[in-house]
Amino acid sequence: MKKSDKIKRFIAFYLSVIIFCVLLPIVLSYSLGYHVEYFPSFTIYKTGIIYLKSQPAGSSIYVNGKLRPEMTPAKIEELKPGTYRVEVKREGFYPWQKELVVRPNMVTKADSIVLFPLAQEIKRISDYEVVDFAVSGGNIYYLTKNGLMRSSMDGTGLKLFTSYAAWPGSIRGKKFSPDGNKIMYFDGWHIWVAYLLPEGGFAKAGRENGRVEEVYRSEDPIIDAFWYSESNHAVVVTERGIIVVDLAGGGAKNAVTLYTFNSRPAGIHYDPGTDSLYFSDLREEKDAKKGVYLYRMDLRQKFLDTFIKRIKKEFDVIYETK
Amino acid sequence: MRRNDLYRRIFEIIPGSLTWTTLISLLVLAIFKPLWVAIFIITFDLYWGIRVIYLTTLLVFAYRRLEKEKKINWLTRCEELGDRHGLGYRNVYQAILFPVYNEGPEILIPSISALIASNYSKDKMIVVLSVEERAGEDVWRNAEMLRDSYRDRFFAFLVTKHPIGLPGEAMAKGANATWGAKVLKAFLDEWNIDYGHVIISCFDADTCAEKEYFGCLAYHYITNPKRHRSSYQPIPVYNNNIWHSRSIARVFEIGSSFMQMIETMRLEKFVTFSSHSMSFKTLVDVGYWPIDMISDDSVIYWKCFLYFDGDYSVIPMYVTVSMDIATGRTRLETIAKQYKQKRRWAWGVENFPYLMMGFMENDRIPLIKKLRRGFNLLESHYTWAVWAIIVTFIAPLPLILGGGLFRQTTIGYNLPSVSAALLRITLLTLLICMFLSIRLLPPRPPDVKRSKNIVMIAQWALAPFMAALIGSTPAIDAQTRLMLGKYMHFQVTEKFRKKTN
Repeated sequence: MKKSDKIKRFIAFYLSVIIFCVLLPIVLSYSLGYHVEYFPSFTIYKTGIIYLKSQPAGSSIYVNGKLRPEMTPAKIEELKPGTYRVEVKREGFYPWQKELVVRPNMVTKADSIVLFPLAQEIKRISDYEVVDFAVSGGNIYYLTKNGLMRSSMDGTGLKLFTSYAAWPGSIRGKKFSPDGNKIMYFDGWHIWVAYLLPEGGFAKAGRENGRVEEVYRSEDPIIDAFWYSESNHAVVVTERGIIVVDLAGGGAKNAVTLYTFNSRPAGIHYDPGTDSLYFSDLREEKDAKKGVYLYRMDLRQKFLDTFIKRIKKEFDVIYETK
Repeated sequence: MRRNDLYRRIFEIIPGSLTWTTLISLLVLAIFKPLWVAIFIITFDLYWGIRVIYLTTLLVFAYRRLEKEKKINWLTRCEELGDRHGLGYRNVYQAILFPVYNEGPEILIPSISALIASNYSKDKMIVVLSVEERAGEDVWRNAEMLRDSYRDRFFAFLVTKHPIGLPGEAMAKGANATWGAKVLKAFLDEWNIDYGHVIISCFDADTCAEKEYFGCLAYHYITNPKRHRSSYQPIPVYNNNIWHSRSIARVFEIGSSFMQMIETMRLEKFVTFSSHSMSFKTLVDVGYWPIDMISDDSVIYWKCFLYFDGDYSVIPMYVTVSMDIATGRTRLETIAKQYKQKRRWAWGVENFPYLMMGFMENDRIPLIKKLRRGFNLLESHYTWAVWAIIVTFIAPLPLILGGGLFRQTTIGYNLPSVSAALLRITLLTLLICMFLSIRLLPPRPPDVKRSKNIVMIAQWALAPFMAALIGSTPAIDAQTRLMLGKYMHFQVTEKFRKKTN
């Protein structure tokens, strides 16, 4: 090796060693959260970090009332241990404010800050007075005095489905069928179904476009109603019992009482995944004393069996009567 | 077990156990003492970043030296030297030994043609093809065909068949090379040529020496007062098939060339590698290449080092010898070949027990020299085996295994960003590597599209990923095998060249 190369290498090597020796304490103390103050006296103290992340990002940060140069998401480093009043602000949004405690060599995180927009002018998206409305499949369905209408979510593309306007005074509940083509709504005594199929679909099904039909009138107060998973049956729970209404065909609907309550159920839950109805009832069981227990009725299998048997029986009665 | 065998086993176990202890300790500490590991990782990353910058600086120095010496007409310099103690370039013989396994004429002819294209007098060149008997008759017939074609072009063209299963031999290149050297010795004896006037170059079958190589070698040999106590190491480049090989392989092999260039600036660590040259007298004196070790290229250096009681060095020559890149037909095959080749190189860790045993038997070498050389050898293999694993896989462990409390500490929070920032500095050195690799490229062959120039630059983007993937694993593999006593056999890297018109 030439002498000049030796000198160059010597310089490069020892320069590297010096750089390493100088940088190592700096990098390590920074990583560990130590801060060195040279003036007025040489002091090493422990610091902490505040980490802020907000929605929306790019919001201003104030610590103890002073604006910081960083914008969210940001880490504010080299903070002496203590309590800091931290504000995150952005024009057009409500500010976020909190007192955060900074501990030595630790990170205090506030990473789920959400800034809510200041109240905006409310935009009316419908020119029609509504009795009620329902939302499904990215559309709004309006139950208005002019009829059943549909628009997109921003109110555009308003379309009249039917001029039916005899909506009940108070609608207790409304549910879309699982296939998205019907809305079932009910008050205390009646159940209606609004058919939402497009023109071609209705024609094929032999129905009018946007027809609204009362499908069930109960003698007992209705507690709740549910769609059976195939969208052609309604499961109605009244204070008296559980009834299934078949929506197929025109005219009067077949309604079958599957169960009669001994007392008004305290709670009801319908699982559309399994078509199971959970309810409470007062019963006397063989292996337990009389009391209110929780029951489950699986409609998917037993309901069909029961329903077919009942239909058959009714046909037999009609036939025999005739 | 004999005492020496026991010591040898201990020295075989040391490199692997050091590596595994480091990696397992870091893994365990990442769970129980994540803070310690985080401090270690930041320290290591800083050390690694500065080391890479330092080595890149040496690379630039070496490259500038290469560029400068490329312009020298070494033969003219030799002429200007005249005779020195009865030794002048006109009476220095160049013996070129090719230990051949199954390489065919398509590999050997360019290597022999490069010798013919050399400006050194062919009347002073002796070519020895030492063919493995186990490779079969076809290879032997090829060798004979080459002898018949080229015998008139050189002072002599010897062809010999290395017999299978000679006592004490392993299936290693060193055994074949030693056989070839012995045939050469018999020839020199027959012609009454002084061994001291013969420089032997042990070349891989695909080694193409550049025009000035032998002039440069002769110059260094003649001018070196300790010519018999030195090996002469050219810079290996992998230009033979560089335009036709895969990017993955190119990045690795260019990296190897760069490492070799860097080593030329660190003479205290410099050992012979791959194709190299030395005094034939020395080779005979030390008893040829080892016949039972795979890393014959570096072991011969240590053998000489021990024989001459530590007074042996490697003289870097800033001339290049070009070889083939180990490439495959598919990417996967290329990666596999590269892995196997690097593992074979990493098997050079077998030099450590060899050297330590030699040190134990030799009390004439100063202790400080023993410690320094032993440490350098061990450190280089140890660093090779751990660096990529630490940087890639160990670095995130404190955060993954250290628990929620550690993640809330400032060092836990800063660890990823500080590590990334430190390692990003090393990526800047890639730009220098990119530039130098372009400067070292041979002219683009006519069958290669111009757009390949862009690939030659873009390929460097692969470097960090390939380094993470097979940067350390071949070394760990080799060290583990040695540690467990599962000794490697020599695996020839199959040469694959795309046929060009």
